[in-house]
Amino acid sequence: MRKSVKKILIANRGEIAVRVMRACRDLDITSVAVYSECDKTAYHVRMSDEAVYVGNSPSTESYLVHDHIIGAAKKTHADAIHPGYGFLAENPEFAQRCTDEGLIFIGPKPETIRLLGDKLQARALALKAGLTVIPGADIDSQDAGEALRMARDIGFPVLVKAAAGGGGKGMRVVESEDLFAEALTSASSEAASSFGDGRVFIERYLTKPRHIEIQILCDQHGNCVHLSERECSIQRRHQKVIEESPSPVVTPELRERIGRAAVNIARMSGYVGAGTVEFLVDENLSFYFLEVNTRLQVEHPVTEMVSGLDLVKEQIAIAEGKKLSIRQEDVALRGHAIECRIYAEDPSEGFVPSTGKLMNYRPPSGPGVRIDSGVVIFSDIPIYYDPIMVKLVVWGQDRAEAISRTKRALEEFRISGVKTTIGFHRVIMDNERFVNGELSTGFLEQEYPDNNYRLFSDDLVEKAAIAAALDTFVRERRITVGNGKRHRSVASSWTDFYRRSNLRSFGGSR
Amino acid sequence: MSRYHVVVDGKEFDVEVNYRSEQYEVSVNGRALRVQSHRLGESRSLLLVDNQSLEVDVRANGEGCKIVFMKGMEVPASVEDYNLAQIRKTAGFKSGPSVESAFRAPMPGLVIDVRVQPGQKVKRGDPLLVIEAMKMENIIKAKADAVVKVTHVSSGRSVEKGDLLLEFE
Repeated sequence: MRKSVKKILIANRGEIAVRVMRACRDLDITSVAVYSECDKTAYHVRMSDEAVYVGNSPSTESYLVHDHIIGAAKKTHADAIHPGYGFLAENPEFAQRCTDEGLIFIGPKPETIRLLGDKLQARALALKAGLTVIPGADIDSQDAGEALRMARDIGFPVLVKAAAGGGGKGMRVVESEDLFAEALTSASSEAASSFGDGRVFIERYLTKPRHIEIQILCDQHGNCVHLSERECSIQRRHQKVIEESPSPVVTPELRERIGRAAVNIARMSGYVGAGTVEFLVDENLSFYFLEVNTRLQVEHPVTEMVSGLDLVKEQIAIAEGKKLSIRQEDVALRGHAIECRIYAEDPSEGFVPSTGKLMNYRPPSGPGVRIDSGVVIFSDIPIYYDPIMVKLVVWGQDRAEAISRTKRALEEFRISGVKTTIGFHRVIMDNERFVNGELSTGFLEQEYPDNNYRLFSDDLVEKAAIAAALDTFVRERRITVGNGKRHRSVASSWTDFYRRSNLRSFGGSR
Repeated sequence: MSRYHVVVDGKEFDVEVNYRSEQYEVSVNGRALRVQSHRLGESRSLLLVDNQSLEVDVRANGEGCKIVFMKGMEVPASVEDYNLAQIRKTAGFKSGPSVESAFRAPMPGLVIDVRVQPGQKVKRGDPLLVIEAMKMENIIKAKADAVVKVTHVSSGRSVEKGDLLLEFE
């Protein structure tokens, strides 16, 4: 008997919570939002069917507290929990707790999350599954001499990485032998303080790699398909900022090989649900296994746009125990999709976070444009969470059309009150290397050292000067702009006179 | 007629504005343009600059400073009376934004590291402080060459937006 999910609690906030709620509504499933103190009136709460308060603003006191989330699910009689990405999405203890409490965790089994979350174990599994990994070694950081010998075998430059790492923490690029010992110590101590696990390993550092990842879907009955690749080479501080599908360099033949490799490791790990197998691809198009992300990715919409599938609906169907509705041969790619992650950050000041209230907010629309937004007009952008505000996802018949539509859509945004990375994305869409598809994970550092983005065109600057001067003029003269009403004060004194004379007829006492 | 000295993105503009028969006659560095402006809200308007349509949101940002929101971007502009700007220039005052002596927190967060000490000379782009906000470490860099006079924070302290962090000489 298949379990049928009737109510889902979404243990997240912002755009991803809204995204999951939309799938719930499409499936006639009731959605339950959770919210912290500063998110009381947040967009995801407004979009939900039911909402439960889960604690103070810092996520460690709200969105990350297992008891609060489980308690909210019990209270509202939810039968499943969708973790979104981040927060509790890749936490095996939380997934186990859901199962123990009789709740469906929409994601892989706890043991799969644990296995794949450990980079060393995942690497060993990849080797067993016949995948190529970047030449490297598991090292004992206590024995620096032995570690250096291994680094020499691998060949400099090497990358020192935390076994439990993520997001660039505990990661060091070491160009030469003399810098190795220090990098090893600092990476290990940073890993220990960030993840409570100081184990590190070393890998050969690829000089111009592309980040290419495969979306997988596996049901509870051993069926597993891949939905082609996404290229996410445009990264800033190891965080993806622009993603696309398909990759400009992946041929159907390469797609089949990488896809098969991804399905192999998924099967070997007993994977259930939606997941992503990440690879680095070098200049010769050799691909190396990087890691498996056991959650829905931020960039999942680009896959949805080219595959025509709704990945959240697929996740829910898998959690209900349904068989995959598609076979590998049914997966077809149509057109090209690009996602721009728009953050509340100031690109002209080294991307410092910008907080505040959105005094105006109008996202773009029109052919090929999808907006996954976590905000609306007058939303507050709090400091406590990831500064992702909205994802612009654009579809085109081909890459060129997708790029021109992205440019159009970026310029259609009307946002005031908070600084955003829209201008930065607009610059990238004009970059010749980007347009030619010559990408690598070092793209932004190579093209824009010191964040020297030229955000404003000459025309834009001149128009801004006119607008600023005009605004000053109007305020100085107190001219009501438009309607041809030159002197609002005259009009309003007539209105006052009319009102006063009306009041007088009632005795003037009010 | 009013004449302004406007600076946007380091570029200077001499802008004259006149209002005549429901239209603005604008001249930018001597080039004449006809501008219509229709108010859309408190601070938003639709401009037609020689019939080119442009939706803008202009907000005040302190004395003589405006923020122009347009085409999805935020463009800072400074506007000054043209004659005053000329006098200021001939009198030898620095043009454009000068280094503010007080450096305030650009965002709320936790100070992780203070990279400067009182008396230290810093160059534009030098790191001053590291503030953690929104789960990210943000290196706050000097906007101009200056000498640090006082440091008001130490690492481990949480700060609110606008808190005084450093003072320059």
